[in-house]
Amino acid sequence: MRDGAIIGRSRALVSAVPTAVLVGAIRVYQAVISPMTGPTCKYYPSCSQYALVAVRRHGPLRGSGLALWRILRCNPWSLGGVDDVPPARDHEHRGARTH
Amino acid sequence: MGFFDTILFPIQWVVAWIMYGSHQLFTTLGFEDGPGFAWVLSIVALVVVIRIVLIPLFFKQIKASRGMQMMQPELQAIQKKYKNKKDPSSREAMGRETMELYRKHGTNPMASCLPILLQSPIFFALFRVLYNLRPIADGTQEPIGPIDAAVAGDIEESSLFGAQLSDVFMQTDDWGARITILFLIVAMSATTFFTQRQLTMKNMPKAALEGPMANTQKMMLYVLPLIFLVSGVNFPVGVLIYWTITNLWSMGQQFYTIKRMPAPGSEAERILNEKRAAKAAKKGIVLEEPTEIEPPKPVGQRQQPVRKNRKKKKK
Repeated sequence: MRDGAIIGRSRALVSAVPTAVLVGAIRVYQAVISPMTGPTCKYYPSCSQYALVAVRRHGPLRGSGLALWRILRCNPWSLGGVDDVPPARDHEHRGARTH
Repeated sequence: MGFFDTILFPIQWVVAWIMYGSHQLFTTLGFEDGPGFAWVLSIVALVVVIRIVLIPLFFKQIKASRGMQMMQPELQAIQKKYKNKKDPSSREAMGRETMELYRKHGTNPMASCLPILLQSPIFFALFRVLYNLRPIADGTQEPIGPIDAAVAGDIEESSLFGAQLSDVFMQTDDWGARITILFLIVAMSATTFFTQRQLTMKNMPKAALEGPMANTQKMMLYVLPLIFLVSGVNFPVGVLIYWTITNLWSMGQQFYTIKRMPAPGSEAERILNEKRAAKAAKKGIVLEEPTEIEPPKPVGQRQQPVRKNRKKKKK
């Protein structure tokens, strides 16, 4: 249990930098590139907003995966609609399983 | 080969083949072989090929906006509900309800993100292809598809009013080329500005033009061209041409959309309706006013609701 907490904390530290980088990149996209195309997304929240929340909530790896999957779903054949980022998983046995 | 070139290689290869193929076509049509204007046209052809491939998606989107007429009353109800609420949380709720409405009706007028994101690697690939022309011509870089040392040399020496396709403002000393590049940068910024203004000012419902998001968008409308003016000095001439032509194509497409299928509740729709009414008036027909769906006014006596099957019996 204590080990799990320590692993969890170190994991949080290790992912802090990539998270910050990704969040920064998404922010730049939202401020500079996105306005060029006007509103395009079929979903609420928009793909970039979804990516932002996903990376913050699930960390850089899982968050990026979720965001990528969302972008793939935002295609001409989808109907869109409201689609929120899934809630964070239980933190308890995260570190142990991945290694 | 750098990291980006490795990732982009397949797209660079496609870009190279489209350029090479269209150049072959132009030379058979009578354009000069070797370095020359045909290579400038091959960049235009690249835009045309990509956008033609995307046309089915464009029509799909048009069709979806046609479907929007059906849910107009519900859409207006939502817009009315949030008419005077401009705080972020109300805007969010409005966005949610609108998107849910689209899904419910099975028609979504938004373009969707994937195709737009897929276009950006093409842009970067072209950027890299043009950037790599000189090393390929020198033989210090591997050829990309059909673009070997000889062809790369040809493309590099092709010029538009004295500016070579791979020229970059910051790296050339020729003032003749610099003036052409400046002209292209201004053209790129101007077309970006007008495309975007056409998009936001004319073809968006009034309700979408309010709130913090819309304000950012309005600001970006003026800031973006400035960013392009500044960053354009680092773009090769070929990229500037590509970007300008892309903008012109988008403008044409949008012009068509706005004329034929304006977004409900937008300025463009009002103009279209006025025009239609004027045309009808000329012929002496009084068009029925586009009926604004309003809730029936309450009257003294409430009419009893009648079940459907009963109603039919009465008839």
